[in-house]
Amino acid sequence: MTVLKTSLRNVLAHKGRMVLSAIAVLLSVAFVCGTLVFTDTMNTTFDKLFQATSSDVTVSAKGASDSGETTSGTGKPPVMPASVLNRVRHADGVKSAEGTVFSTSVTVVDADRHNLSPSSGAPTIVGSWNGNDARTMKITSGRAPKGPDQVMVDADTAAKHHLRLGDRIGVISAVGTHTAKISGIASFTVTNPGAAVFYLDTETAQRTLVGQRGVYTNVNVTAATGVSDAQLKKNVVAEIGRGYKVQTAKETADANQKDVKSFMNVMKYGMLGFAGIAFLVGIFLIINTFSMLVAQRTREIGLLRAIGSTRRQVNRSVLAEALLLGAFGSVLGVGAGVGIAVGLMKLMGKMGMHLSTDDLTIAWTTPVAGVLLGVVVTVLAAYLPARRAGRVSPMAALRDAHAPADARAGRVRALLGLLLTGAGGCTLYVAASANKAAAGSLWLGLGVVLTLIGFVMVGPLLAGGVVRVLGALLLRVFGPVGRMAERNALRNPRRTGATGAALMIGLALVACLSVVGSSMVASAGDQLDKTVGTDFIVQNDGGQPIVPQAVKAVKATPGLQRVTEYKVLDATLTTPDGRTTRNETINAADPTYAQDLRTKTVAGTLADAYRPGSMSVFEGFAKKHGIKVGSTVAVDFRDGGTAELTVRAITSDDTAIDKGAMYASIATAARYVPADRMPLDQLLFATARDGQEKTAYKALKSALRDYPQYTVRDQTDYKKALKDQIGQLLNMIYGLLALAIIVAILGVVNTLALSVVERTREIGLMRAIGLSRRQLRRMIRLESVVIALFGALLGLGLGMGWGATAQKLLALEGLNILDIPWSTIITVFVGAAFVGLAAALIPAFRAGRMNVLNAIATE
Amino acid sequence: MTSAVTIPRHGGTGARTAVAARARQVVKAYGAGETRVVALDHVDVDILRGQFTAIMGPSGSGKSTLMHCLAGLDTVTSGQIFLDDTEITKLKDKKLTQLRRDRVGFIFQAFNLLPTLNAIENITLPMDIAGRKPDREWLERVVDTVGLAGRLKHRPSQLSGGQQQRVAVARALAARPEIIFGDEPTGNLDSRAGAEVLGFLRRSVDELGQTIVMVTHDPVAASYADRVLYLADGRIVDEMHAPTAEQVLDRMKDFDARGRTA
Repeated sequence: MTVLKTSLRNVLAHKGRMVLSAIAVLLSVAFVCGTLVFTDTMNTTFDKLFQATSSDVTVSAKGASDSGETTSGTGKPPVMPASVLNRVRHADGVKSAEGTVFSTSVTVVDADRHNLSPSSGAPTIVGSWNGNDARTMKITSGRAPKGPDQVMVDADTAAKHHLRLGDRIGVISAVGTHTAKISGIASFTVTNPGAAVFYLDTETAQRTLVGQRGVYTNVNVTAATGVSDAQLKKNVVAEIGRGYKVQTAKETADANQKDVKSFMNVMKYGMLGFAGIAFLVGIFLIINTFSMLVAQRTREIGLLRAIGSTRRQVNRSVLAEALLLGAFGSVLGVGAGVGIAVGLMKLMGKMGMHLSTDDLTIAWTTPVAGVLLGVVVTVLAAYLPARRAGRVSPMAALRDAHAPADARAGRVRALLGLLLTGAGGCTLYVAASANKAAAGSLWLGLGVVLTLIGFVMVGPLLAGGVVRVLGALLLRVFGPVGRMAERNALRNPRRTGATGAALMIGLALVACLSVVGSSMVASAGDQLDKTVGTDFIVQNDGGQPIVPQAVKAVKATPGLQRVTEYKVLDATLTTPDGRTTRNETINAADPTYAQDLRTKTVAGTLADAYRPGSMSVFEGFAKKHGIKVGSTVAVDFRDGGTAELTVRAITSDDTAIDKGAMYASIATAARYVPADRMPLDQLLFATARDGQEKTAYKALKSALRDYPQYTVRDQTDYKKALKDQIGQLLNMIYGLLALAIIVAILGVVNTLALSVVERTREIGLMRAIGLSRRQLRRMIRLESVVIALFGALLGLGLGMGWGATAQKLLALEGLNILDIPWSTIITVFVGAAFVGLAAALIPAFRAGRMNVLNAIATE
Repeated sequence: MTSAVTIPRHGGTGARTAVAARARQVVKAYGAGETRVVALDHVDVDILRGQFTAIMGPSGSGKSTLMHCLAGLDTVTSGQIFLDDTEITKLKDKKLTQLRRDRVGFIFQAFNLLPTLNAIENITLPMDIAGRKPDREWLERVVDTVGLAGRLKHRPSQLSGGQQQRVAVARALAARPEIIFGDEPTGNLDSRAGAEVLGFLRRSVDELGQTIVMVTHDPVAASYADRVLYLADGRIVDEMHAPTAEQVLDRMKDFDARGRTA
């Protein structure tokens, strides 16, 4: 108990010195808890939505996917005849049944042809207004749609796009474009996270979405009182047979939820990964804090030992301090985490995804996990300093100076670090020269971990050299102040090393990703230049297929020499080795695709693969299944019959575009897949007549004006889009890494602030003999800049090494060109200098304000 | 006796006054109301140029406070302090810092040196900070005088306590300040090392014409001075010229006895 009491007193006495450590714990815990609360809340929201919108039992056509999504490659939802509805009505325990039609492979545009679909990735749903929807929606103005010229829109979408009653909107489906006037606006009674929903009357929905009357995509069944959903399901199946998909409300909700959950899990673990990096960085900060606290208290600890405290008691008292700090930071962190979650929800709201704080879900595991993690990490980080405290000899009480650094331990550590770095370097080399991507990535991972640990351990050693070089280059300009800053940074290499290492981690990841990202852009650009023989590509950026009327519009565009259609068909392949591969895809295109994309072949001629009854396979697949030119592969199209196709070409795997594609002509596929089940085009490639590229590009753009969901790009724009896309992804990752970098910056502030406290007398002396406040502040700022630049240099160096290795490894996957984004690297380096300046603001200010006399008098 | 003011007289060179620093009616008080403590109570003092002055007095007599105020390290509650013709009680921090840097030297009891700098770097630090080039010849002379020639590249941690204080003395001398203040400069040294340091201070006064003010409670240290000022309860109560250690000790005993009977 006494241990805890003295620890508590110590924590309180030094609370100022522990503030930044507490903030580091707080931030990391907050990020973890924020992630958990946010994803749980999202799950709750969707759970409620799906539960509210599922009818007791839902019958849908066999082809519908598990989650009730009605899209298929054809652009039309799978349907069942109206007779099913009548039969369902005759089943026992059915109170009522209603046939509905809805589709998510639609685009809705306003009168000016602006896309009304959500940009957040949420679906656009057009369906028939029915009793089930009426349960979860309230018509707030106008009335339900009736007749072909009326449509009702959900209130969120209406508000977002300023839609009013009477406005005309167009529904573009594979059937055609249907325009109607807004007759009503309805709002959800549950939280709708962001889907845009439009309602037509049943007959209009059938005609618009399916192109056929008397068919339904779903039958919503309501149970009579006293009949359970499971019983009702049984009865319905008994009545209509097994040719349909029949699900209870719970099954429907679960199936829907499954997609959301798996997405949320990806997001959750991704964000937790970044929280983990922040924790890792925080560890350095905590180690430094406790090391300094122990060093500053050496005499005090010596006294405790002299009057009879055991090593264990001293050790434990430091750990108890860490425990208190960890608990304090974590508890606040949990609170801040909820704040972060609410902030994220607000942010999502700005991006068009509506979440309600009523659904805020805090599972009991969240605070427990947060506090446990925070406390355990803090105590672990304090373990080494605590042990060092335990080793303080009673003699320290009598000695004046701080305990001298253990030189031997430093050498052992540096040696071990060098060994690890060396081993890591070799591992990276092995990774770079690996010829199998899977094995190589294991080596890469190992190499990254080894070099990271190695660098952290060699840090103090490197700090000596790097700081001297930086000093010679940068600090000499500042004369004696610069020299003192350099000496101060060098004074405790372990501390400088740890502070720099914290910054190094975040910046190494930034550098690595930026190298990989820009190599991706450069390699893809190079591939495009070398292999693409067409001018324009038309696609939907969300991966939606291209409706036939848009294809027609493209083909009718003047100035084009040719247009190539490109489809993706699901198939099961049976190869000559007797093996069957499920879930493969065949890329069916017009024969001109061989000119549009000049993929290299390792055997045969690509153009031959487009001959009737022919196909191509890719190198890896051919090797795996012993396929040669002339082999026959049985292709069982999911939407059609089985074709025996002859392999006419084997494409090289050394490509970044269409890697792993197996080609056949659309004509070949059409012989086995009936027209009404043939998927729509996924992409269109258009090639202009010689010299007409510019006018053709303009003409294509205007031809697609009616279809805002599709974008046409020429090679320049395509490259730019690719670059933007990768840039966006990188920015998102940088944003998440910012947390780790912020913690690292706190670490620099922490080190400086504690150093200033530690050097109080020195500062007093310097002020007494005439160092001005400005010079003092500059000295601290320069020290900070040097530490930050040291971290940046290490991080950028390490990261570029990782990035280059990753590129060499990914060269197997077509990432052929190493492109080091010097502008980014230099920006980060210069940015680090500013970070150093900013980190020194408060410590320098406080040092400047120090009273000279008090500073000298401090004992 | 509440003041130690001598009639200003002009030194041989004529250009400068014979008084290097003076305090007029200086009051230094801490706190307010009932807890008000007066550390200096209307003190008048003149520090003569080219002299070695010692300030003595029991603990709490205000001797260190007086030195800190004279040196521009501390502010006064009222009164004026002049360094030569500059009234330092009027100066803002920036000017005061410059004044300390360019015109004053310090020797503290302990922690006189920056651990990161070697001996010579410590010695030239005030000039480096000011961006001035040290006078080579003078520097060599100072270094020779304090006997550090062989140890200039050593870090403070590699020097003995006496050597460290000698570096501090050298630093104080190197910039040729108008006045050097010592705050018990030998307080942490054994008698031999202390005698060495005091010997250097004495020589710098005799041979280099330096003005030195030293706070001490050691009669032996005070005996090196030309003049000893006695402080008690924030007032100057006595002064003695060309003292010996015995005289100083007797006087101290005398104060002690009076203090007890009073």
